[in-house]
Amino acid sequence: MFRNYKWFLGSLLLLVNLSAQVKLSVKTIPKKVNIMLDGINIGKSPIINDRINPGVHKFEIIKSGFAPITYDILVNPSQAVHLDFFMNPIYQVKFKTQEKGLVFELNGEHLWDDPFIRLNLEAGDHFLRVFKLNEIIDEQTIHVDEPKKFNYYLKKLISEK
Amino acid sequence: MLKRTFNWFLHIGGILTLIMFMSGCSLLKGPLYPDVIYNNRQPLISVTYEYGEIEIKLPLNYIGVVPEIISFEVYAHGDTANPIISILQEAPRVFFVYLPQGVLDIHNKSNIIKIIPQDTNFRPVNVRFKGIRFGRIVLPPKSIQMGQLIVNGKVFLNKDETPLGGVDVSIQNFDNVIKETTTNDSGFYQLSVPGEYKYAQHLRLVAGNNMIFKPFKQKLDFSQTLKMRYNIGMGPNKAMEDPIYLTNRESVHFREQPDIGSETLFLLGAGESISVTRVTPGEYYGSIEIEVGSKKMVQLDGWVNRTDVFLLDLNNVFKKESGNVSEL
Repeated sequence: MFRNYKWFLGSLLLLVNLSAQVKLSVKTIPKKVNIMLDGINIGKSPIINDRINPGVHKFEIIKSGFAPITYDILVNPSQAVHLDFFMNPIYQVKFKTQEKGLVFELNGEHLWDDPFIRLNLEAGDHFLRVFKLNEIIDEQTIHVDEPKKFNYYLKKLISEK
Repeated sequence: MLKRTFNWFLHIGGILTLIMFMSGCSLLKGPLYPDVIYNNRQPLISVTYEYGEIEIKLPLNYIGVVPEIISFEVYAHGDTANPIISILQEAPRVFFVYLPQGVLDIHNKSNIIKIIPQDTNFRPVNVRFKGIRFGRIVLPPKSIQMGQLIVNGKVFLNKDETPLGGVDVSIQNFDNVIKETTTNDSGFYQLSVPGEYKYAQHLRLVAGNNMIFKPFKQKLDFSQTLKMRYNIGMGPNKAMEDPIYLTNRESVHFREQPDIGSETLFLLGAGESISVTRVTPGEYYGSIEIEVGSKKMVQLDGWVNRTDVFLLDLNNVFKKESGNVSEL
């Protein structure tokens, strides 16, 4: 009898909890990406008809070849919440120069002095700074929207597909 | 010599191939920068919420008269100062209201719909209910009726103002008894009838049907009010002196002279009081009280047959259960 009572109470609590939850759907581009919700893998996208409690939650989406996404959200008490994540691709870019004695810096933190190097760059704009003998001799923004090859000449950057 | 040169090239070629294998293709493709370089571009994220709707359905029953316009006010979380929504509309059979999700208290019955008919004859009605997050709520039907018409007061003996308990009091429309009660030990009574009788033309208050006195009858007019008070005096007035006799039947002749054939001044109903001052073998001479408008009473002298009256005993003023025969 006591066990039945506990079972009934548990079912009731579960029902109350479910009724307070918000319907969740998650879609990503690209598809079939593992979705981590508050550190727990809830499956591969697209996710439909899952449930989430109202409140603060953290989504983490990681896929090789794309920039990872970490997204904090305050889920409002509502009927449903639909999330669409568009992941930023990472392109491999070849960077080449014929100039001698140059040091390159990208986005203020990544340095190299090889005349020919392959870089994995997130799609979008990157800030390139060129040093020679510890002096800045050039600054420019490079835009990456596909795999490219950059040929750097002083004051001139030529990109080829 | 040629063979040695060939072997030397073969060795050199082998070593170069080995170096190529060991260093991968980086000699051809260039070295790979060890880290992925992010530009911290904000990813495109779309968040779409779907909010549910709360539909509230409240059937209304109108008892008797239907008010023309009703104001509906919906309150949540016990806050009766700030309505979520106010709707003024013609009296509907079913009241519908749509609310956004999350506005109602879903844990307690602290949400209220105030139904306020725009007619002072109706009283506002409150409906308390427990909310839901979204979806439909069908509330039990609520009755709307005019305010009750109330008449109350005390019944007492005119002679000495003693409260009379156990007196039948009723409200009648024509001769139909709508509501009846009996006075308590303090002589108090209260009767209420539905508001639909507010404009009834033939509504009257009747008291004392179970008494030996002539019943008290008063026309009731609720057109200006919902509540009235009538204190009802039963029996002969203080001004009438003892001995007092009461008529024991309807249509008792009250004559100017004791002779047969003399002029009948009034035909008295059962229970009318006569203050007797002179007695003959067959008749009593005395005075009766007559209302001459605006509650003014005058006394009039005359004669009645002794067989048509009986002596009033103030200790026993109720009729016997068996019939109209008074206890003497």
